[in-house]
Amino acid sequence: MGNLVWHEYSRFVSITASVYAIWAAFFGLFYRKFFWDFVGGTLRDPGGIQPSPSAALFITVIVRVPVVQIATMLLGMTILAIELPLPAVKKLSLHRSLVVRIVLLLFQVFHTILFYQGTNAAIWSLISAACYGRAVMLGEEMAEAKDNRGKGGGV
Amino acid sequence: MGESWFHREFLTPRRLVFNVLFYGAHFGLFAYGWNSQATNVKLAGLNTLKYSVWASRGAGLVLAFDGGLILIPMLRNIIRVVRPKLTWLFPADENIWFHRQVAYSLAFWAMVHTTAHYVNFINVERTQIRKQTALQIHYTQPGGITGHFMLLIMLLMYTTAHKKIRNQCFEAFWYTHHLAFFFMLGLYTHATGCFVRDSVDPDLIPTFPFYSTEHCLGYLSWRFIIWPGIIYFGERVWREIRARKATRLSKVLVHPSGAMELRIVKPSFKYTAGQWLFIQIPELSRFQWHPFTITSAPEDPYVSIHIRQVGDFTRALGDRLGVGPSDPQSGITRGDFVELDPTVSSITLPQVRIDGPYGAPAEDVFNNEVAVLVGAGIGVTPFASILKHIWYRQRKGKLGSLRRVEFFWVCRDAPSFGWFQSLLQEVEAAQADRNIPILSMLFQPANFLRINVYLTQKIGEDMLWNIAVNDAGADYDPLTLLRSRTMFGRPDWKTIFGQMRQAIESGQYLPGSTSQLKTKVGTYFCGPGVLAKAIKEACVENTGSTVEFSFAKVRHNCLLNPRSWLINFHLL
Repeated sequence: MGNLVWHEYSRFVSITASVYAIWAAFFGLFYRKFFWDFVGGTLRDPGGIQPSPSAALFITVIVRVPVVQIATMLLGMTILAIELPLPAVKKLSLHRSLVVRIVLLLFQVFHTILFYQGTNAAIWSLISAACYGRAVMLGEEMAEAKDNRGKGGGV
Repeated sequence: MGESWFHREFLTPRRLVFNVLFYGAHFGLFAYGWNSQATNVKLAGLNTLKYSVWASRGAGLVLAFDGGLILIPMLRNIIRVVRPKLTWLFPADENIWFHRQVAYSLAFWAMVHTTAHYVNFINVERTQIRKQTALQIHYTQPGGITGHFMLLIMLLMYTTAHKKIRNQCFEAFWYTHHLAFFFMLGLYTHATGCFVRDSVDPDLIPTFPFYSTEHCLGYLSWRFIIWPGIIYFGERVWREIRARKATRLSKVLVHPSGAMELRIVKPSFKYTAGQWLFIQIPELSRFQWHPFTITSAPEDPYVSIHIRQVGDFTRALGDRLGVGPSDPQSGITRGDFVELDPTVSSITLPQVRIDGPYGAPAEDVFNNEVAVLVGAGIGVTPFASILKHIWYRQRKGKLGSLRRVEFFWVCRDAPSFGWFQSLLQEVEAAQADRNIPILSMLFQPANFLRINVYLTQKIGEDMLWNIAVNDAGADYDPLTLLRSRTMFGRPDWKTIFGQMRQAIESGQYLPGSTSQLKTKVGTYFCGPGVLAKAIKEACVENTGSTVEFSFAKVRHNCLLNPRSWLINFHLL
């Protein structure tokens, strides 16, 4: 029993995961750490884990220059703009595409899994993408936003 | 809607007191938790981590407090017993509202706590004040594991608890919310493993609680906050035992528009008018409990509930009884019903279990001289029981100080509540009943109960003519089949209460009432919040030296089906 509309549910998970991702990436700007640096890394006292040389690429884009964190923040904001949605995005057909959401959320998974603070955001984004996937499988479609919604003075 | 956020939160005295106490307690605990970490010389090692460790300890203490509070509003049986004694403290069934406030606070402080710990652990790894990596603390120690696990549970519980999800799939909310069991286990064990310590290694001991308080210097908050959890668990077990006591569905009456009246016999079930219960029908769903208002009076030999077929559960019940939307319904006219009685027909009735009663009793109706009962839309349901109860008491001549009852029913379209109309007809007809003892008749005005039906929907021309043609000269109102005439449009509460006050003051309303005594008028309301406000204002405005209008909301008793219950729940 129960008639769960999966994409409506997944929207809440997606919003939560994206807010988490943005917040995590923001802290990732100040405390930069490659999540997978323990693979082949050595622990130095003091100094923490010294990543293996093979991780040099990730160290460059996460620790030297926080490219991944900044990209995650932008991506998270994009998802929020689609999900909440931003008035300008509301009119686009993109806003109603579930597949675009899945793709963006999977991107978010790949970004957030790379840096230290992003693990939970990655798991949550994956859950959200899976729920959207379920919605697509069930053939759910998003209804077009009604024009008179959210405007004052209407009936 | 018109009032601002500031007005609502700070200029309403009761809300202001709540905000000051609730958020004051939170920030106070945060400050205490922060300070007692920062100034603890034993924890000088940890304090090298500075702000992040102070913030995490403070927020951790606040979270423990919230974790202890969150279950308290869910102790339904204890609240039912305690609340009537503390009505001055809680205006009505505010428990779900309070539960939500604690949940919001829990989410906020979880954010603070988690963020601070992410900073803590990366600094532990860098400075090696403990010989561990950040990921070891996150994913191999009890604190880290339970913490991440609780965050995941919170994600699932909060998202499925959204109003939209509960409306479309109550089950998703209901089942997911039982993850609270694991959340609570995580919460109580979050600080195990001697996480906050002044020693190099955890000082674990072989006996309970498996750490020594000599070197493990956490706040030990679980020792306090575990009690609501234990009591809640006990209450759930007790509810289960109580629900298993002998219960029999004796008959089902099917009213027009498919509303089903379930008459249940359960001798161990004691209740008062205006309360509600949970029902479970194992055949349809083994674990779900659905809330409904009790529509029978305590004097009735059975417990009845009225169920409209609007949600998936209620429709499934209709199908099971052979009266669902797919079954052809013929021959039921308005005010009539079909009886499904297993002793007469070949139909079998499902097993049922009921749990309750819950909610505020409306027994204090009899302490007023005049009772004004206002039901709006679906909010009319608790008044079925209350009106019946008043009628029984009227027959016995035991009305207390109650002299007159004004019943208002405000709804968009009355015909969709066919079952309630037939009930009202019974009660109205009983007013002319000669069985009422002569003695009690003497003390009552002839028009003891007055029914006022207001129809707020827009009326088309066809319907207008229909009413005009059928209404003229008829004994009964064409829409409701009641003697009382239906009024159209929204009631003007200020005028209604004002007129009532004038009538009372001039002595017309209650013949024989002495003017030096103060007349008490009790207003009971169930329905949306906007209306509640208007009525409350009218009450306050018309209270004077001789007439006192009091206002009571019978709010969360407005349950006819889980969906409408939820909707009402959040309007209020």
